[in-house]
Amino acid sequence: MSFHPEMEYAPAKFHRSERKLAEPGEPFTYTPGNQARFDQVVTRYPADQRKSAILHALYLAQNQQGYLTAAAMRHVAEQIRCTPADVEDVVSFYTMFYTRPVGTYVLNVCRTLSCALLGAERVTEELGAKLGIKPGETDSTGTFTLVEVECLGACDRAPVVMVNDDWHEGLSPEQCATFIDDIRARGGAAFTGCHLKKEAGSGQQAADSGQPAEGSKK
Amino acid sequence: METVTLTIDGLQVTVEKGQSVLQAAIEAGISVPYYCYHPGIGVDGSCRVCVVKIEKMPKLQTSCSMACTDGMVVSTRDPEVVEARAGVFEFLLVNHPLDCPVCDKGGECPLQDFSYTFGPADSRMDFPRRVFDGEGVRADVDFGPTLMLNRNRCILCTRCVRFMREVDGDAQINIVDRGYGSEIATFSEEGVHSLMSGNLMDVCPVGAITTRDYRFKSRPWDNPNVVDTTCTLCSKGCSTSAWLKAKPEWAKGSQLIRITPRFNPDVNSYWMCDIGRFNYHWIEGDARLRRPMQRRGTALEASTWHEVEPRLRDAVQAAGSPDPASVRFLVSAHASTEELFVLKQLVEGLRGAGGLTSIAVAWTRTAKNQPAGTRFTIPATDAPNVNGARDLGYRVGAGNEGLPDLEDLRTAIEGGRVKALYVLDPGPEGSIGDVSWIVAARQSGTLPLLVVQGVLMTDLCAGADFVLPGAAFVEKDAIYTNDQGRVQAASRAIAPPGEAREDWQILVNVAAALGLSLAYSSSDDIRRALATAMPGSAYAQAGQITFTRPVPAKSWLQSSNPSERWKWDFMFQDLPPVKGHNVQTEDMGREGAYIPLRAVE
Repeated sequence: MSFHPEMEYAPAKFHRSERKLAEPGEPFTYTPGNQARFDQVVTRYPADQRKSAILHALYLAQNQQGYLTAAAMRHVAEQIRCTPADVEDVVSFYTMFYTRPVGTYVLNVCRTLSCALLGAERVTEELGAKLGIKPGETDSTGTFTLVEVECLGACDRAPVVMVNDDWHEGLSPEQCATFIDDIRARGGAAFTGCHLKKEAGSGQQAADSGQPAEGSKK
Repeated sequence: METVTLTIDGLQVTVEKGQSVLQAAIEAGISVPYYCYHPGIGVDGSCRVCVVKIEKMPKLQTSCSMACTDGMVVSTRDPEVVEARAGVFEFLLVNHPLDCPVCDKGGECPLQDFSYTFGPADSRMDFPRRVFDGEGVRADVDFGPTLMLNRNRCILCTRCVRFMREVDGDAQINIVDRGYGSEIATFSEEGVHSLMSGNLMDVCPVGAITTRDYRFKSRPWDNPNVVDTTCTLCSKGCSTSAWLKAKPEWAKGSQLIRITPRFNPDVNSYWMCDIGRFNYHWIEGDARLRRPMQRRGTALEASTWHEVEPRLRDAVQAAGSPDPASVRFLVSAHASTEELFVLKQLVEGLRGAGGLTSIAVAWTRTAKNQPAGTRFTIPATDAPNVNGARDLGYRVGAGNEGLPDLEDLRTAIEGGRVKALYVLDPGPEGSIGDVSWIVAARQSGTLPLLVVQGVLMTDLCAGADFVLPGAAFVEKDAIYTNDQGRVQAASRAIAPPGEAREDWQILVNVAAALGLSLAYSSSDDIRRALATAMPGSAYAQAGQITFTRPVPAKSWLQSSNPSERWKWDFMFQDLPPVKGHNVQTEDMGREGAYIPLRAVE
C-alpha cells in the first residue's frame, strides 16, 4: 500500500524486530480438492461468522504443504476474508500449527503432571537420544520431529505421546527405541491408538477427524 | 434520556442508562484507573485495573464492562479493591522496563500516573524482566513508515488492536504467540500502513507505540503551551491541538512541535489522519517566505513592504488601466473566509458588482487510500474552505465534490488576454494544483505581470514579479467552512516568520495602495463585517467566534480525551496518592474518603 507520498519520514534505519517469522514461502493456493472442502466447511457457519472456519482452513493448508508459510497464511486470510494479521494471531497461538517444516511423524510428548510422574522427561530424553535430536528439532532424514506439549488428556494411560493426529499410550522410557523402529517398520500401525476409542468401537476416530486432506504427507 | 442512579463511594451519581460504572465514576470525578478502556473504541476488560467492589456481587468487577443499574452500590476505595488493584499494578510493572527517563511518553504516561496513584511502592519480582527485540531503548523496532514499537513497554491493553479493527477498518495489528510470550505484532513484521497510524500513539497508554516524527524530539515539560485549533489540510476540518515547544531562553518564540487530535464528536471524534498530524513541517521550514520580494531583471530581490506596495500599485495600474477586466485573480481554497471576504470587497470595490468573475478558486483532490470499513473517512478535497468560497458567491463548480474549473482562466492567460494575475495561496506546496502553465505564460511574456501572495517559495513564486509573504493556518485567527457546512475557528498558535503578515492585512494594504479604503484593523473586524453582510446565514454569528490563545499544557490527554480530564484535575491538587493508608483521610468516615472534585449538592 502506498503511503502518502508528500510526507517525508525519518529514514528507515531503525532496528528490525527479532521475532521469528514464518517463511515467506512459495505462492500458495489450495488444491481444487482442498478448495472444495473449504467451501463446504465454511457453509457450516453463519455467513457473518466466516472467521469461525479459520482452524479448519489452516489445517487444510498445513496438511497440503506440511507446514504454514506466510503465503499460505495470506491465502487463508483471503479465503476467510480477514487480515493476514488475524491468521498469524491464530497460528502463533496454537502449538499444532507449524511455521517450519516438520518430519513425517511429529512426536508430541506430554510433559504435564501424570505423564511427568511416570517418566515423561525420560521418554523425551530416550526419544531424543535414539533420533539424535533435542525437543523442537527434526532429525536429519526428515522423518521425526520431537515436541514437548502440555496435557493431552490421557492421564490414565501416561506417559502418552501424540503422533500427528494419532495416539500412543503407556510409552515407557525403555520402549522408546523399539517404538521408533516400529514406526519406521510399520508406520501408523505401530500406535496403540486411544483405548477409549477402541472400547467404544472402531471407526469413531475416522468420523471425528473428517476425511484426510488432499495431498497429505501423512 | 433514560437515567439510572447509583452510589459510588457514597456519592449519588445519575447517569444515562447503558453507561458503564467506570464512565459514571469518571463523570462524577471519582478516580478509577484504566488502560484498556478508551471512550472511542470498544470495551475489552483485559487490563483489570478498573476493578471495583459492587454490593451483592461475589467478586470484584471490572467497572469498564459493568453497566450501571439503579440502586447499585459501588466502592472504589474498599480495602479489598485497593489491595487487588495494587496487585494488578504490581503485575503490570513486572516486565515493564521502567525506562521512563528515555521514554517519549514519560511525563504524560497513564502507566506512570496510575502506578503513582494506585500502585504499590515496590515490586516483589526477583527474576529478570522478559525482553523482546533487545534491551532498553534498543528494543525499538520498525512498526511501519510512521511508527516505532517497543514491545518491552507494552502492557497488552490491546487498544491499538481494537483501534485498527474498529476505527481504521483494517485489522493490521494483533497479538501473536500466547501467555507470557504474547506480543503486539503486525503480519510478518510488515508494520502499520495506514493513514490513521498516528492515532496509535495517542491510544497507547504507555510508550510502546511512538511516532517517528515526534520521537526523541521533546518531553512533555518542554512543551509548555498548547493551542486548540483546527486542521486545514482537507475539507474535514478536524479539531486539533498544536503543541509548542519552548525555545531556549536566548531564542525568541516557540516552535510548533506536534499536532494531536482534539475531541469533537461532530467532526473527528478522538482521531485525526496522518496528513494533518505529520504534514506541518513546511510551516516552519526553510522554504517559507519571510520577506516581500520583487523582480529586478531576472532575479527576485528581497525588499520591504513599504517599497513593494507602491511598485506593486504602479505595476498593477499600468497593466490594468487599458482594460480592468484583464486583471485576474487565482485564489486557493486554503484562504480563510476573512481573506475571501476582503478579496471580494477589493475586486468589487475596484470593478463593481461583477468583480467576482475575475476570481478563480483552486484546490486539489487526492484519493486517500483507506480500507472499505473505515469509520474515519478522509475527504478527497485537500483544501479547507471550498464551502466558504461558495457561500461568499465565488464560482466553485461542484465544490468539494469536484475539481475546480480553471480552463477559463487558462485560456484567457494563454490567449494573452490577462495582463496581470494575482495569486493568493496560503496553503502548502501544490495546494492549487499544477501551475506550470502560469509560470510558462509569465516566462514567455504572454502574462506580463504575476503577483503571488503565498507562504512557500514555490516555482510559481520563483517566476513572479512580486512575492508577498503571508501566514499559514496556525499563524492567524481565521474561520473556515468544512464540508459539513460547519464554520470552524482555527486559532493562531505561532507568529508568521520574518516580515510575513496575516493575509487579510496584505489584502487590505494592497487595496489601500490601489486607492480603495477597507477599514479593517483586525481579523475580528472582518468577521464582524462578514456577520453584518450575511445575516441569517451560518456566518451571522461570525463576530462572536472566539479563538483560543496558547494555554499551559498539562497533557495531550487533557485536550484530546475529555474522559481522562478528571485525572489531571485530580493530579494537580497536590494530594498524596490514594493508597491503603492516607494521612489526609484517616480521620474521615468512609463516606468522606473520596476526594470531591465537584461541588456536591
